[in-house]
Amino acid sequence: MRLEKAKLVFSKDWLEIKRNWQVILPIVIVPLMISVFIPVILTLIPRVVSGSEADLGGFVPLVQNLPLPVQDQLAAMSELQIMIYVMAIYFFAPFFLIIPLMASSVIASDSFAGEKERKTIEGLLATPISDSELLFGKMLVSFIPSMLVTIISFVVYTIIFDVLSFGLFNGMLLLPSLDWILLIFGLAPTVALASIGLTVIISAKVKGFREAQQISVILLLPILGLVFGQISGALIFGPAVIAVLAALFVALDFVVFRIGVKMFKREEILSQLS
Amino acid sequence: MPIIEVENLTKKFGSYVAVNHLNFSVDEGEVFGLLGPNGAGKTTTVRMLAGLISSSEGSARVKGYVINSDSLKVRETVGILTENPSLYEKLTAYENMDFFAQAYGLTEPTKKNQRIKEMLEFFGLWERRNDKVGTFSKGMKQKLAIARALVHKPSVIFLDEPTSGLDPESSKEVRDLIAQLSHQEKSTILLCTHHLEDAEKLCSRVMIINKGTSVIVGTPDGLRNKISGTPTVEVTLETVNSKLVEAVKNVSEVKQVTIDEESCTLTATIQNIQLGTPKIVKSLVEAGGLILGVKVVRPSLEEAYLKLIKEEQK
Repeated sequence: MRLEKAKLVFSKDWLEIKRNWQVILPIVIVPLMISVFIPVILTLIPRVVSGSEADLGGFVPLVQNLPLPVQDQLAAMSELQIMIYVMAIYFFAPFFLIIPLMASSVIASDSFAGEKERKTIEGLLATPISDSELLFGKMLVSFIPSMLVTIISFVVYTIIFDVLSFGLFNGMLLLPSLDWILLIFGLAPTVALASIGLTVIISAKVKGFREAQQISVILLLPILGLVFGQISGALIFGPAVIAVLAALFVALDFVVFRIGVKMFKREEILSQLS
Repeated sequence: MPIIEVENLTKKFGSYVAVNHLNFSVDEGEVFGLLGPNGAGKTTTVRMLAGLISSSEGSARVKGYVINSDSLKVRETVGILTENPSLYEKLTAYENMDFFAQAYGLTEPTKKNQRIKEMLEFFGLWERRNDKVGTFSKGMKQKLAIARALVHKPSVIFLDEPTSGLDPESSKEVRDLIAQLSHQEKSTILLCTHHLEDAEKLCSRVMIINKGTSVIVGTPDGLRNKISGTPTVEVTLETVNSKLVEAVKNVSEVKQVTIDEESCTLTATIQNIQLGTPKIVKSLVEAGGLILGVKVVRPSLEEAYLKLIKEEQK
């Protein structure tokens, strides 16, 4: 595979995306809103609603399943501090696995299906760019912006949360923690790549953008499973769990890419053109 | 020497046979036309020859590369104008050219920029190079798409319906540019069209295909003569009389003579236009005829084509 050819496909697509605000706005605005509103709600609402008499209620299973050193740390905190700490550090962490998937879904669904709809695909397929170079280029153009949005959202979330919780935790900065860094820079990219790879394959197989996007929504389900696993306390995203999941997803990324190259058929794509 | 060699090329989509055992070859520098109605299999043939889809049976070589096994090399070698212009409307004309130049391996910046400029100037688009393609007219898009197909100086060019959907003025402009280009670039061109004017004005040889099968191959002149009979010479005289008719009948090249007394026209069917026409004029003048006009009437390629397609459909 010639990386410069994949980079060329990336540059061309990126140039087009940059000029399309209908694509850019939802990718940037939704994650940024989440990363601004969540820490604000997290730190302010419990204080307003329950003062210092917070009730852990539904968080008990999650708290009980946290690693022992964390539980020791929590023992010294008030219930309000525990609630904010658990929600900020554990409860919302897996949501940051959904951000790259959300951000990439529009671009990845459009990758081949959009070119079919706009009738530009034949010229692209006629170039001496190989199947793997085309697929990789199309994956890159979804991956890089979605990871940028995820990292920026993480930075915004961290800053806002630290500023708002600084006083409550007596000057202690809770974020970024090792778990979060591993999650954002280790697990999120590998999860995003697998999801983008599958969406790009779907996009090459279906006729139009909407069809591709509707099918790709299914890919969110396994990630939602991880989110609910953490909320229920069944699966805690500690360093070891993140490392194992990241390794599994790296393997899955390779498998998805290989399958994608095997399934990529220029003839099938051209037969879908009206 | 053939640069495109096609042997029993066949394409099936399930049970439907889109291209059925085509055989032809195109020499280096030749402009070869694939003529046929919509759905005849022209685009499928071009897609196979351009390494976009594989053949079901038979084989073809483009500049020595086998289309099925060396498809990447074939794609590198050829330039193609696809049925749709396949241009990115949110990119400028220059950005489109730049992307395709690099995709075809033209990466050295000075050479690339020089070639892009040369092509955009040739097609009269240099002044609009920084405008988005979405703002272009259909004719401009078609010219840009042809420029894009030529950006890497391919030795073989496939043009699929280059004047399709264009108004007569733009069609003529595109046709003239292709003619000029085939001389300037000295490339081999395979032109796919159902516009007979394109084939007539640009091609040295044409192949008429219908329902995926080759109907006939030859030069446009040869096809006209072969299908619609021999040409005729129409002479308009001041008066027509039997003496003049006899004089023309005595010319060795003349096969048949008819007259229309009302319009004072004498029509002669002849074997050889170049030899026969001056002899007819000479015989008429010598017999005392006063000639008002001479017209060589040849059956058009369109008549020949329609006749053939009609026969095929029967």
